[in-house]
Amino acid sequence: MRLTRLLGVVTANLNRSRNHFLLASVGIVVGIATFAFFISLGLGVRNVVLGKIFPLDQLEIVPKSLDLAVGPLALGGGEVIDQSKVEQLEAIPGVEVVYPKMRLTVPSLGVGGKEVLGTDLRSEMVADGIEPNLVTEDVDGDRPFRDFDDPEAPDYQAPEPCDKDADCGEDRYCGRPPGYREPPRGSGKKAPKPDKVCRHYIPILASEHVVELYNGALRRAHGFPKLNPDFVLGLKFDLKIGASMVSASAKDEIIREKGMLVGFSRKAITLGITMPIGYTKRFNVAFGKPDDAQRYHSVILVVPEKDDVAAVAKAVEDLNLEVADTGAEQAALLIAIFIAVFSLVSAVIVGIAAVNIMHVFFMLVYERQHEIGIMRAVGASRGDITTIILGEAATLGVLAGIAGVLLAFGAASTFDALSANYIPDFPYKPTSYFIFPWWLIASSLGFSVAFCVLGAFLPARRAARMQPAAVLSGH
Amino acid sequence: MIRIRGMHKSYTTGKMVTEVLRGVDLDIDNGEFISVIGPSGSGKSTLLHAVGGLDSDYTGAIEVDGKDLAKLSDAELSAYRNETVGFVFQSFYLLPHLTCLENIALPAVFKRGAEADVEAANKRAREVLEEVDLSEKADVFPTMLSGGQRQRIAIARALFNKPQVMLCDEPTGNLDSKTGTAIIDLFRKLNEDDGITVLIVTHDPRIANSTSRKILVADGALTEVEDATEAIGGDDNNGDEA
Repeated sequence: MRLTRLLGVVTANLNRSRNHFLLASVGIVVGIATFAFFISLGLGVRNVVLGKIFPLDQLEIVPKSLDLAVGPLALGGGEVIDQSKVEQLEAIPGVEVVYPKMRLTVPSLGVGGKEVLGTDLRSEMVADGIEPNLVTEDVDGDRPFRDFDDPEAPDYQAPEPCDKDADCGEDRYCGRPPGYREPPRGSGKKAPKPDKVCRHYIPILASEHVVELYNGALRRAHGFPKLNPDFVLGLKFDLKIGASMVSASAKDEIIREKGMLVGFSRKAITLGITMPIGYTKRFNVAFGKPDDAQRYHSVILVVPEKDDVAAVAKAVEDLNLEVADTGAEQAALLIAIFIAVFSLVSAVIVGIAAVNIMHVFFMLVYERQHEIGIMRAVGASRGDITTIILGEAATLGVLAGIAGVLLAFGAASTFDALSANYIPDFPYKPTSYFIFPWWLIASSLGFSVAFCVLGAFLPARRAARMQPAAVLSGH
Repeated sequence: MIRIRGMHKSYTTGKMVTEVLRGVDLDIDNGEFISVIGPSGSGKSTLLHAVGGLDSDYTGAIEVDGKDLAKLSDAELSAYRNETVGFVFQSFYLLPHLTCLENIALPAVFKRGAEADVEAANKRAREVLEEVDLSEKADVFPTMLSGGQRQRIAIARALFNKPQVMLCDEPTGNLDSKTGTAIIDLFRKLNEDDGITVLIVTHDPRIANSTSRKILVADGALTEVEDATEAIGGDDNNGDEA
């Protein structure tokens, strides 16, 4: 039986029994819509949670520490990762890139924000240093993320003397030479000041978490405006390395620098600022020891294949290091459970609908027994009869599947619209909670077809086994 | 040639087994015009269905042109029904949701190895429609036709694949005398002009007497008779079947 002929027979049969099929397919439509809706919701949530909040393709590795709680204090920690460990981590199969990170180990203060917020904010700063070539995709060419003060860099330009900012152009300012340490104001100490030179702003990366946290929560407490991340790029602020609002922590000397926000990156520290690692090395050495330049506080491993994550984590443990607990595993587990539960619910709905489909097909086979007998009399084989009935079921499955997916699309769009208009902003609030990848649509249709065909299987078998002579003679 | 040897057929109802055909033998040459007569429930239709490959639940052998139907697979038996035989039933059995043309072309849907040429099928369907003098009814649905017209459409469907054998199960049973006679005349014409073997199951002795051979089915046996009226009784002038 040729496909074109089969389609003709199937279409005619579906058309004349459309009311039966319409009722029978309601359950399938609802089940498939439930399936597509909740899977797409799970995927959308996972994309936000594991893609933005806890990137699962990046493992942050920290030294294994044994903290000992003593009253309000936890003793221990403070270990670092040296260059040899970094090389061992690079050798782990499945690891694409290793990002060493060096935390600024001296206190620092940041002051700025007036041009955006109308008033300057003053805050203690936590700063991380990372390799500039690892975040090239997060910054554009106009505001490069590189170490301008490294005299060994091939494109290093010695700073020229200046008297005021205007002498240095828009992208630079007139300040003290790199590394100059001065006593804090009001300390009463006096030291000779070197001549000012044109300085590049320290390029700063921030995590998208910072903006999300600000827009979602912090701004409300202070009555500040909501920020557009693109708009705040280029924001300049003062940095005082060695200074602190906690007077006991402040160093005897400070280094005055200026920073410029040049981009947002998932590789940036979650709360704080991230600068090229050369700066943090020099600041740490300036306030510490020379070998501080080779001691990293953490590294980030990029593991492109999620399937490799477990093996990489095991190899990391063997190096006496550990994966920092970001909550990603728990989040992934919760989302997986969410998806599994609703997949099960939709499977039950579609399964019940398949039973309904079976009843309808049994009834139709009974109604059409003379017709089936005639088809057999003019040459239809058992296979032809089975193919016709299962073809009707499959076509019904495709139509119900399409209707179910469209219903899910509609429900998702409605949900997104309601969320945009009625749910207050919160950190990481997405524009859409849903992702409909092609495989979800394909599997929804496949699911629908499979259950319809499954439901029609026994009726088709019964129809194929009918004795045409008995049907046509009434025996 | 159709050759039946030692054919047994029984029906089981509950614990009761009724043997309707008890080892019957029959030879039918190509081009014969035969009637099968006998009382109700004697096994006339059973014999017809078995020869037509609609019923394979029997013992014995039915050979058509040397092929034992009992040994054919379902696909082969379906191809046999599609290409070698054509059925005409008392109740017409036309599909009400298809037009006359579509009903006639129905065998093309199940023809094996055929080109999927709908145009060719429609052309052939129009040819046979013309043969049964209903050219103007091609796009009409069967419910709009009289009984005689419906039976002509059913005959056209049986003729669609140019069968060697026409198997007619009381084809005039639902028709008035005049229409029934016209239908029988059509069968005779097909038999004489096209050499189609026609096997008619009937209660009507007048129809039976118009055929060249008359086979009486009674008490599980087949007997060739000269006069159907004498064999089964009834009024030879009454064309309406009992």
